[in-house]
Amino acid sequence: MKMKKFINSQESLTKELLEGFALAHGDLVTLLPANTVVNKKLANANRVTIVTQGGAGHEPALSGFVGEGMLDVSVVGDIFAAPGPQACVDAFKLADKGKGVLYIVLNHAGDMLTGNLSMKQAAKEGLHVVKVVTQEDVSNAPRENSDDRRGLVGCVPTYKIAGGAAAGGKSLEEVAAVAQRFADNMATLAVAARGATHPSTGNMLADLAEDEMEIGMGQHGEGGGGRSAMKSADETAKIMLNALLADLSIKSGEKIMLILNGVGATTLMELFIIYRKCVEIAKEKGIEIVANYVGELLTVQEQAGFQMFVARMDDELLGYWNAPCNTPYFKRGL
Amino acid sequence: MTSFIKKREVLYMLLSRDSLSSMFRSAALLWQENVTRLGEIDSRFGDGDHGITVGKMAGAILSRLNGFENESIKSFIEGLSSDIMGINGGSAGPLYGTLFEGLSAPLSDETEINAPLLKAMFTGAQDALFEITKARVGDKTMMDALIPAVTAARGAQGDVLAVLNAAAAAAARGCGDTENMVSKFGRARSYGSQTIGVPDAGAVSAALLFEGFNNLKGGEQQ
Repeated sequence: MKMKKFINSQESLTKELLEGFALAHGDLVTLLPANTVVNKKLANANRVTIVTQGGAGHEPALSGFVGEGMLDVSVVGDIFAAPGPQACVDAFKLADKGKGVLYIVLNHAGDMLTGNLSMKQAAKEGLHVVKVVTQEDVSNAPRENSDDRRGLVGCVPTYKIAGGAAAGGKSLEEVAAVAQRFADNMATLAVAARGATHPSTGNMLADLAEDEMEIGMGQHGEGGGGRSAMKSADETAKIMLNALLADLSIKSGEKIMLILNGVGATTLMELFIIYRKCVEIAKEKGIEIVANYVGELLTVQEQAGFQMFVARMDDELLGYWNAPCNTPYFKRGL
Repeated sequence: MTSFIKKREVLYMLLSRDSLSSMFRSAALLWQENVTRLGEIDSRFGDGDHGITVGKMAGAILSRLNGFENESIKSFIEGLSSDIMGINGGSAGPLYGTLFEGLSAPLSDETEINAPLLKAMFTGAQDALFEITKARVGDKTMMDALIPAVTAARGAQGDVLAVLNAAAAAAARGCGDTENMVSKFGRARSYGSQTIGVPDAGAVSAALLFEGFNNLKGGEQQ
């Protein structure tokens, strides 16, 4: 597949997309040098603040969730590439309003290295930062080895839950504990129907035959799961939801959050057809879906497919999920 | 005492600032030549950006070299480390930034580097990387080139050229060995045994670094 994208130069992709993003949402965010996106109301924050970091090319994630009630600072690297640690340490200092900083990192090799190096530096400088890692891809490691699980769309609801707890006036240790509890009880499975091209190189990321799909792909379309012939929406929904519920040992009577995250080229039409089946399966099993989202939160360029996300919920977590927030791509209670 | 030693050896008993400059320049140029190839290797089982990152790191070395005459060897390499840490290069930025930080660790205010100090610098690079990655020989990462290079450098008899030669040869062998390995770290890990037959992109860039260091031009000494 030849790359067909409306871009100018490959070198300026990240810079230009961030400039456009900041111009489009200038009421909510400010773009600082070093690819740092900041909540416009950060100056008035008298609470724990939240910082994240990661590569670009996954819009609206991650910076699309900067604003009141979710993220305060997002440090962007380059396309699919983590930022360096110094930019993150600078972000901690910028974000800290005296109540400490929660630092959310997705489990990917580059992000984790930057995460560890920036925490080391933060400790050296006496900064009050607690790190929470999101790692929930059930396809590449069993739950016992969750350190090997990749971080997929689960970072986004984690931002929301943590943001809700922070807005509620909790201490840094309490906010981190809430975010960790949520993260420990979430699981994601991805399916791809068609790969994407890397916008900087034009190289194909994962190659799927016309009639194939693959369950269990990473953030960037890396392979790793099972390939099979294309299945119907209902069959796909059933395989994926059952795998997630089994991974989390969700039983009848429990409450869950269910997110269907389109990764770029799969239509809302398809996502709604899948969602309908998920609700039917949950009902049969006596599981209550108390929170949901169907749409694009974290994309992988023009890849076709979606990520199905399930988290075990309780009343406290649900309260944080439903708390008001105002970010470019996620709003509540306005 | 140097008058008893053949000319070539006189030149390389120590690495002067000019030789060091030549070492880093040739490494950067070799990286630049291999940007496309590294991108292609990384697209097989990674996310395809290692070539881009290596190109940015080469650019960081070349631009830092412009100011080398105004700073000490230690501050030059330290500066290089922080430039590379800051390039937004996924895992390669922090890894190579740490490698350079480790290279500078044993230095103080030297104006020349002798063989024992060069060995200490390579050892410093390895120690620094050991602190941030659990990858070791056999895991199909840059460490498959770096660890053998450092081991060979430490065991090398003779002058700084012998140390650089030994490191480059061992790094190339270690990199070649990654072709037959299964990836255990990074994104390629999810592909398991499918990764056999393709070298690790990080091992290739690490071997190129040592090859570049070894390409320093003797003529620039005079």
